[in-house]
Amino acid sequence: MGDHQKIVVMACKHSAGEALRELQREGWALPDGVEWVELPCGGSLDELHILRAFEAGAAAVLVLACYHGACRSLDGSRWAEKRVQAIQEMLAEIGIEQDRLEFRNIAPTMPADLASWVEALHRRVLAPAGE
Amino acid sequence: MIVAERKPLSEIIAKVEGYNRLLIVGCNTCVAVCQAGGEKEVAMLAAALRLRFRDRQPAMEIIERSVERQCEEEFNQVLAEDIAHAEAVLSMACGVGVQTLVEQFPDAIVLPAVNTKFMGRPEERGVWSERCIGCGNCVLDKFGGICPITRCAKSLLNGPCGGSENGRCEVDPENLECAWQLIYDRLARLGQLDRLLEIEPPKDWSTARYGGPRKIVRKDMVL
Repeated sequence: MGDHQKIVVMACKHSAGEALRELQREGWALPDGVEWVELPCGGSLDELHILRAFEAGAAAVLVLACYHGACRSLDGSRWAEKRVQAIQEMLAEIGIEQDRLEFRNIAPTMPADLASWVEALHRRVLAPAGE
Repeated sequence: MIVAERKPLSEIIAKVEGYNRLLIVGCNTCVAVCQAGGEKEVAMLAAALRLRFRDRQPAMEIIERSVERQCEEEFNQVLAEDIAHAEAVLSMACGVGVQTLVEQFPDAIVLPAVNTKFMGRPEERGVWSERCIGCGNCVLDKFGGICPITRCAKSLLNGPCGGSENGRCEVDPENLECAWQLIYDRLARLGQLDRLLEIEPPKDWSTARYGGPRKIVRKDMVL
Protein backbone atom coordinates (compact mmCIF):
# COMPACT_ATOMS: atom_id res chain seq x y z
CA MET A 1 0.00 0.00 0.00
CA GLY A 2 3.05 2.20 -0.30
CA ASP A 3 1.59 4.25 -3.15
CA HIS A 4 -1.24 5.59 -1.04
CA GLN A 5 -0.59 8.71 0.94
CA LYS A 6 -3.57 9.13 3.17
CA ILE A 7 -4.75 8.16 6.61
CA VAL A 8 -8.44 8.46 7.39
CA VAL A 9 -9.51 9.06 10.96
CA MET A 10 -13.16 8.30 11.65
CA ALA A 11 -13.98 9.91 14.94
CA CYS A 12 -16.91 10.36 17.29
CA LYS A 13 -17.56 14.08 17.66
CA HIS A 14 -18.36 13.81 21.37
CA SER A 15 -14.99 12.43 22.40
CA ALA A 16 -12.37 12.50 19.66
CA GLY A 17 -13.90 15.61 18.12
CA GLU A 18 -13.63 17.50 21.40
CA ALA A 19 -10.08 16.27 21.92
CA LEU A 20 -9.13 17.44 18.43
CA ARG A 21 -10.61 20.88 19.01
CA GLU A 22 -8.63 21.19 22.23
CA LEU A 23 -5.46 20.32 20.33
CA GLN A 24 -6.28 22.85 17.64
CA ARG A 25 -6.79 25.55 20.26
CA GLU A 26 -3.26 24.76 21.39
CA GLY A 27 -1.98 25.15 17.85
CA TRP A 28 -1.64 21.49 16.90
CA ALA A 29 -2.66 20.50 13.39
CA LEU A 30 -3.31 17.16 11.79
CA PRO A 31 -0.22 15.94 9.93
CA ASP A 32 -0.28 16.14 6.14
CA GLY A 33 -2.18 13.28 4.60
CA VAL A 34 -4.48 12.75 7.56
CA GLU A 35 -8.15 13.17 6.74
CA TRP A 36 -10.52 13.67 9.66
CA VAL A 37 -14.07 12.36 9.27
CA GLU A 38 -16.28 13.30 12.20
CA LEU A 39 -19.12 10.98 13.11
CA PRO A 40 -22.21 11.89 15.14
CA CYS A 41 -21.50 8.73 17.15
CA GLY A 42 -19.20 5.72 16.85
CA GLY A 43 -22.35 3.71 16.34
CA SER A 44 -22.99 5.47 13.05
CA LEU A 45 -19.85 3.92 11.61
CA ASP A 46 -20.68 1.41 8.92
CA GLU A 47 -18.40 -1.34 7.67
CA LEU A 48 -18.76 0.10 4.19
CA HIS A 49 -17.38 3.46 5.34
CA ILE A 50 -14.12 1.72 6.21
CA LEU A 51 -13.96 -0.34 3.02
CA ARG A 52 -14.73 2.73 0.92
CA ALA A 53 -11.90 4.61 2.63
CA PHE A 54 -9.45 1.87 1.69
CA GLU A 55 -10.91 1.73 -1.81
CA ALA A 56 -10.36 5.47 -2.10
CA GLY A 57 -6.71 4.98 -1.34
CA ALA A 58 -6.34 5.18 2.41
CA ALA A 59 -3.17 3.51 3.63
CA ALA A 60 -4.68 3.20 7.09
CA VAL A 61 -7.88 3.95 8.93
CA LEU A 62 -8.11 4.90 12.59
CA VAL A 63 -11.49 4.66 14.28
CA LEU A 64 -11.97 6.61 17.49
CA ALA A 65 -15.00 6.18 19.71
CA CYS A 66 -15.93 6.88 23.32
CA TYR A 67 -15.08 4.53 26.12
CA HIS A 68 -17.66 1.81 26.49
CA GLY A 69 -20.13 3.04 29.05
CA ALA A 70 -19.51 6.68 28.17
CA CYS A 71 -21.27 6.59 24.81
CA ARG A 72 -24.22 8.98 24.63
CA SER A 73 -26.00 6.47 22.45
CA LEU A 74 -25.29 3.74 25.01
CA ASP A 75 -23.66 1.11 22.80
CA GLY A 76 -22.38 3.15 19.87
CA SER A 77 -18.72 2.63 20.69
CA ARG A 78 -19.23 -1.10 21.17
CA TRP A 79 -20.82 -1.36 17.75
CA ALA A 80 -17.98 0.65 16.25
CA GLU A 81 -15.44 -1.75 17.73
CA LYS A 82 -17.40 -4.77 16.50
CA ARG A 83 -17.52 -3.38 12.98
CA VAL A 84 -13.82 -2.60 13.02
CA GLN A 85 -13.09 -6.16 14.10
CA ALA A 86 -15.27 -7.52 11.29
CA ILE A 87 -13.40 -5.47 8.71
CA GLN A 88 -10.04 -6.41 10.20
CA GLU A 89 -10.93 -10.03 9.58
CA MET A 90 -12.00 -9.17 6.06
CA LEU A 91 -8.76 -7.28 5.41
CA ALA A 92 -6.75 -10.28 6.56
CA GLU A 93 -8.65 -12.47 4.12
CA ILE A 94 -7.87 -10.19 1.20
CA GLY A 95 -4.22 -9.81 2.07
CA ILE A 96 -4.14 -6.38 3.72
CA GLU A 97 -2.37 -6.10 7.07
CA GLN A 98 -4.90 -5.93 9.88
CA ASP A 99 -2.92 -3.20 11.63
CA ARG A 100 -3.84 -0.84 8.78
CA LEU A 101 -7.14 -0.52 10.63
CA GLU A 102 -7.01 0.58 14.26
CA PHE A 103 -9.69 1.09 16.85
CA ARG A 104 -9.18 3.15 20.00
CA ASN A 105 -11.40 4.34 22.80
CA ILE A 106 -10.97 7.98 23.65
CA ALA A 107 -12.41 10.65 25.96
CA PRO A 108 -12.69 14.40 25.33
CA THR A 109 -9.99 14.88 27.99
CA MET A 110 -7.38 12.94 26.01
CA PRO A 111 -5.98 15.39 23.43
CA ALA A 112 -2.39 14.35 24.15
CA ASP A 113 -3.23 10.70 23.49
CA LEU A 114 -5.00 11.64 20.28
CA ALA A 115 -1.98 13.55 19.00
CA SER A 116 0.34 10.72 19.92
CA TRP A 117 -1.79 8.03 18.24
CA VAL A 118 -2.20 10.02 15.02
CA GLU A 119 1.48 10.91 14.86
CA ALA A 120 2.54 7.32 15.54
CA LEU A 121 0.27 5.98 12.83
CA HIS A 122 1.50 8.67 10.46
CA ARG A 123 5.12 7.72 11.16
CA ARG A 124 4.41 4.02 10.74
CA VAL A 125 2.30 4.18 7.60
CA LEU A 126 3.08 7.37 5.69
CA ALA A 127 6.51 8.52 6.75
CA PRO A 128 8.44 5.48 5.43
CA ALA A 129 7.03 6.03 1.95
CA GLY A 130 7.96 9.70 2.06
CA GLU A 131 11.52 9.13 3.18
CA MET B 1 -36.98 -17.37 5.93
CA ILE B 2 -34.01 -18.98 4.26
CA VAL B 3 -30.89 -18.32 6.29
CA ALA B 4 -27.49 -18.16 4.67
CA GLU B 5 -24.01 -16.89 5.37
CA ARG B 6 -21.34 -15.55 3.08
CA LYS B 7 -18.67 -17.99 2.03
CA PRO B 8 -15.14 -17.26 3.25
CA LEU B 9 -13.55 -14.57 1.10
CA SER B 10 -10.64 -16.87 0.30
CA GLU B 11 -13.06 -19.33 -1.32
CA ILE B 12 -14.82 -16.57 -3.27
CA ILE B 13 -11.50 -15.10 -4.40
CA ALA B 14 -10.37 -18.49 -5.69
CA LYS B 15 -13.58 -18.83 -7.68
CA VAL B 16 -13.45 -15.42 -9.35
CA GLU B 17 -9.77 -14.66 -9.83
CA GLY B 18 -9.78 -16.02 -13.37
CA TYR B 19 -12.35 -13.50 -14.56
CA ASN B 20 -12.02 -9.85 -15.51
CA ARG B 21 -15.67 -8.81 -15.69
CA LEU B 22 -17.69 -9.86 -12.68
CA LEU B 23 -21.33 -9.23 -11.86
CA ILE B 24 -22.32 -9.58 -8.21
CA VAL B 25 -26.05 -10.03 -7.73
CA GLY B 26 -27.71 -9.88 -4.34
CA CYS B 27 -31.22 -10.77 -3.32
CA ASN B 28 -33.26 -8.36 -1.22
CA THR B 29 -35.46 -10.92 0.46
CA CYS B 30 -34.34 -13.69 2.87
CA VAL B 31 -30.59 -13.27 2.52
CA ALA B 32 -30.91 -9.52 2.95
CA VAL B 33 -32.77 -9.98 6.22
CA CYS B 34 -30.12 -12.37 7.52
CA GLN B 35 -27.47 -9.96 6.23
CA ALA B 36 -25.72 -12.50 4.06
CA GLY B 37 -26.52 -11.40 0.53
CA GLY B 38 -28.55 -8.20 0.30
CA GLU B 39 -27.63 -4.91 -1.29
CA LYS B 40 -25.21 -3.95 1.48
CA GLU B 41 -23.46 -7.30 1.44
CA VAL B 42 -23.07 -6.99 -2.33
CA ALA B 43 -21.41 -3.61 -1.83
CA MET B 44 -19.11 -4.98 0.85
CA LEU B 45 -18.09 -8.00 -1.20
CA ALA B 46 -17.50 -5.83 -4.26
CA ALA B 47 -15.35 -3.46 -2.23
CA ALA B 48 -13.36 -6.34 -0.76
CA LEU B 49 -12.76 -7.88 -4.19
CA ARG B 50 -11.75 -4.53 -5.67
CA LEU B 51 -9.21 -4.15 -2.89
CA ARG B 52 -7.97 -7.70 -3.35
CA PHE B 53 -7.48 -7.28 -7.09
CA ARG B 54 -6.63 -3.58 -7.21
CA ASP B 55 -3.13 -4.05 -8.54
CA ARG B 56 -4.25 -6.33 -11.33
CA GLN B 57 -3.89 -5.27 -14.96
CA PRO B 58 -6.28 -5.03 -16.62
CA ALA B 59 -8.38 -4.00 -13.64
CA MET B 60 -11.19 -6.32 -12.68
CA GLU B 61 -14.53 -4.76 -13.56
CA ILE B 62 -17.11 -5.46 -10.86
CA ILE B 63 -20.76 -4.56 -11.35
CA GLU B 64 -23.08 -4.55 -8.33
CA ARG B 65 -26.76 -5.38 -8.62
CA SER B 66 -29.49 -6.57 -6.33
CA VAL B 67 -32.95 -7.83 -7.17
CA GLU B 68 -36.01 -8.22 -5.00
CA ARG B 69 -36.30 -12.01 -5.29
CA GLN B 70 -33.67 -13.85 -7.26
CA CYS B 71 -35.73 -17.06 -7.08
CA GLU B 72 -38.32 -15.57 -9.46
CA GLU B 73 -37.41 -15.01 -13.09
CA GLU B 74 -39.54 -11.89 -13.43
CA PHE B 75 -37.30 -10.02 -11.02
CA ASN B 76 -34.14 -11.14 -12.80
CA GLN B 77 -35.07 -9.89 -16.26
CA VAL B 78 -33.41 -6.54 -15.52
CA LEU B 79 -30.11 -8.38 -15.21
CA ALA B 80 -30.02 -9.65 -18.79
CA GLU B 81 -27.72 -6.96 -20.16
CA ASP B 82 -25.29 -7.11 -17.24
CA ILE B 83 -25.19 -10.89 -17.35
CA ALA B 84 -24.43 -10.82 -21.06
CA HIS B 85 -21.59 -8.38 -20.38
CA ALA B 86 -20.08 -10.25 -17.42
CA GLU B 87 -17.70 -13.17 -17.72
CA ALA B 88 -19.09 -14.60 -14.50
CA VAL B 89 -21.94 -13.92 -12.12
CA LEU B 90 -21.40 -14.15 -8.39
CA SER B 91 -24.78 -14.71 -6.80
CA MET B 92 -25.32 -13.79 -3.18
CA ALA B 93 -28.78 -15.36 -3.15
CA CYS B 94 -29.62 -18.72 -1.64
CA GLY B 95 -29.15 -21.86 -3.70
CA VAL B 96 -32.60 -21.38 -5.17
CA GLY B 97 -31.66 -17.96 -6.50
CA VAL B 98 -28.40 -19.25 -7.95
CA GLN B 99 -30.21 -22.02 -9.79
CA THR B 100 -32.90 -19.66 -11.02
CA LEU B 101 -30.21 -17.55 -12.67
CA VAL B 102 -28.67 -20.69 -14.16
CA GLU B 103 -32.01 -21.83 -15.61
CA GLN B 104 -32.93 -18.36 -16.80
CA PHE B 105 -29.55 -17.51 -18.31
CA PRO B 106 -28.22 -20.88 -19.50
CA ASP B 107 -25.05 -19.44 -21.05
CA ALA B 108 -23.97 -17.60 -17.92
CA ILE B 109 -21.41 -18.88 -15.46
CA VAL B 110 -23.09 -18.42 -12.10
CA LEU B 111 -21.11 -18.94 -8.90
CA PRO B 112 -22.50 -19.08 -5.37
CA ALA B 113 -21.12 -16.57 -2.88
CA VAL B 114 -23.13 -17.71 0.12
CA ASN B 115 -23.78 -21.02 1.83
CA THR B 116 -27.49 -21.67 2.22
CA LYS B 117 -27.97 -23.00 5.73
CA PHE B 118 -31.57 -23.56 6.76
CA MET B 119 -35.13 -22.28 7.13
CA GLY B 120 -35.23 -20.41 10.39
CA ARG B 121 -35.85 -17.20 12.21
CA PRO B 122 -33.87 -14.52 13.99
CA GLU B 123 -33.84 -15.20 17.74
CA GLU B 124 -32.11 -11.95 18.49
CA ARG B 125 -29.88 -9.54 16.63
CA GLY B 126 -27.19 -11.56 14.89
CA VAL B 127 -28.58 -14.95 15.91
CA TRP B 128 -30.64 -17.16 13.60
CA SER B 129 -31.80 -20.67 14.30
CA GLU B 130 -33.46 -23.44 12.38
CA ARG B 131 -37.18 -24.04 12.75
CA CYS B 132 -38.29 -26.12 9.76
CA ILE B 133 -36.66 -28.77 7.60
CA GLY B 134 -39.54 -28.84 5.12
CA CYS B 135 -40.55 -32.44 5.76
CA GLY B 136 -43.67 -31.97 3.68
CA ASN B 137 -46.16 -33.13 6.31
CA CYS B 138 -46.43 -30.64 9.15
CA VAL B 139 -47.06 -32.12 12.60
CA LEU B 140 -46.69 -28.97 14.68
CA ASP B 141 -50.27 -29.28 15.94
CA LYS B 142 -49.38 -32.49 17.76
CA PHE B 143 -46.41 -31.08 19.62
CA GLY B 144 -47.57 -27.77 20.97
CA GLY B 145 -46.22 -25.88 17.97
CA ILE B 146 -42.62 -27.01 18.49
CA CYS B 147 -41.17 -29.14 15.74
CA PRO B 148 -39.42 -32.27 17.06
CA ILE B 149 -38.25 -33.15 13.57
CA THR B 150 -36.28 -29.93 13.22
CA ARG B 151 -35.39 -29.05 16.77
CA CYS B 152 -34.62 -32.49 18.19
CA ALA B 153 -31.15 -33.52 17.04
CA LYS B 154 -32.50 -37.03 16.54
CA SER B 155 -35.83 -35.92 15.06
CA LEU B 156 -37.57 -38.11 17.63
CA LEU B 157 -41.35 -38.25 17.44
CA ASN B 158 -41.60 -40.06 20.77
CA GLY B 159 -39.08 -38.28 22.94
CA PRO B 160 -37.24 -37.33 24.90
CA CYS B 161 -34.21 -39.54 24.66
CA GLY B 162 -31.80 -40.20 27.51
CA GLY B 163 -29.61 -37.32 26.38
CA SER B 164 -31.89 -34.62 27.72
CA GLU B 165 -30.40 -33.04 30.80
CA ASN B 166 -31.55 -29.86 32.52
CA GLY B 167 -33.49 -28.96 29.42
CA ARG B 168 -30.42 -29.15 27.19
CA CYS B 169 -29.56 -31.53 24.36
CA GLU B 170 -26.57 -33.84 24.79
CA VAL B 171 -25.47 -33.13 21.22
CA ASP B 172 -24.56 -29.54 22.11
CA PRO B 173 -25.68 -28.67 25.64
CA GLU B 174 -24.32 -25.15 25.43
CA ASN B 175 -26.24 -24.15 22.33
CA LEU B 176 -29.14 -26.57 21.97
CA GLU B 177 -32.29 -26.76 24.01
CA CYS B 178 -33.92 -30.17 24.25
CA ALA B 179 -36.87 -29.92 21.87
CA TRP B 180 -38.76 -32.46 23.95
CA GLN B 181 -38.35 -30.39 27.09
CA LEU B 182 -39.76 -27.45 25.14
CA ILE B 183 -42.63 -29.61 23.91
CA TYR B 184 -43.36 -30.86 27.43
CA ASP B 185 -43.32 -27.35 28.88
CA ARG B 186 -45.51 -26.00 26.12
CA LEU B 187 -48.09 -28.79 26.37
CA ALA B 188 -48.14 -28.38 30.16
CA ARG B 189 -48.82 -24.70 29.68
CA LEU B 190 -51.67 -25.51 27.30
CA GLY B 191 -53.07 -28.21 29.62
CA GLN B 192 -52.50 -30.82 26.92
CA LEU B 193 -49.96 -33.16 28.50
CA ASP B 194 -52.28 -36.08 27.73
CA ARG B 195 -51.15 -35.71 24.11
CA LEU B 196 -47.83 -37.19 25.12
CA LEU B 197 -49.56 -40.47 25.94
CA GLU B 198 -50.21 -41.01 22.26
CA ILE B 199 -47.55 -43.05 20.50
CA GLU B 200 -46.54 -41.52 17.20
CA PRO B 201 -46.11 -44.08 14.42
CA PRO B 202 -42.99 -43.97 12.25
CA LYS B 203 -43.06 -40.92 10.01
CA ASP B 204 -43.63 -41.29 6.30
CA TRP B 205 -40.56 -39.54 4.97
CA SER B 206 -41.62 -39.85 1.34
CA THR B 207 -43.02 -36.32 1.57
CA ALA B 208 -39.61 -35.04 2.63
CA ARG B 209 -36.47 -34.73 0.55
CA TYR B 210 -35.99 -38.49 0.79
CA GLY B 211 -38.73 -38.98 -1.81
CA GLY B 212 -36.58 -37.07 -4.32
CA PRO B 213 -36.85 -33.42 -5.43
CA ARG B 214 -40.31 -32.12 -4.67
CA LYS B 215 -42.69 -30.15 -6.79
CA ILE B 216 -46.10 -28.59 -6.24
CA VAL B 217 -48.49 -28.18 -9.14
CA ARG B 218 -51.58 -26.14 -8.40
CA LYS B 219 -54.04 -27.09 -11.11
CA ASP B 220 -56.19 -24.08 -10.30
CA MET B 221 -53.24 -21.85 -11.14
CA VAL B 222 -52.13 -23.55 -14.35
CA LEU B 223 -53.81 -23.14 -17.74
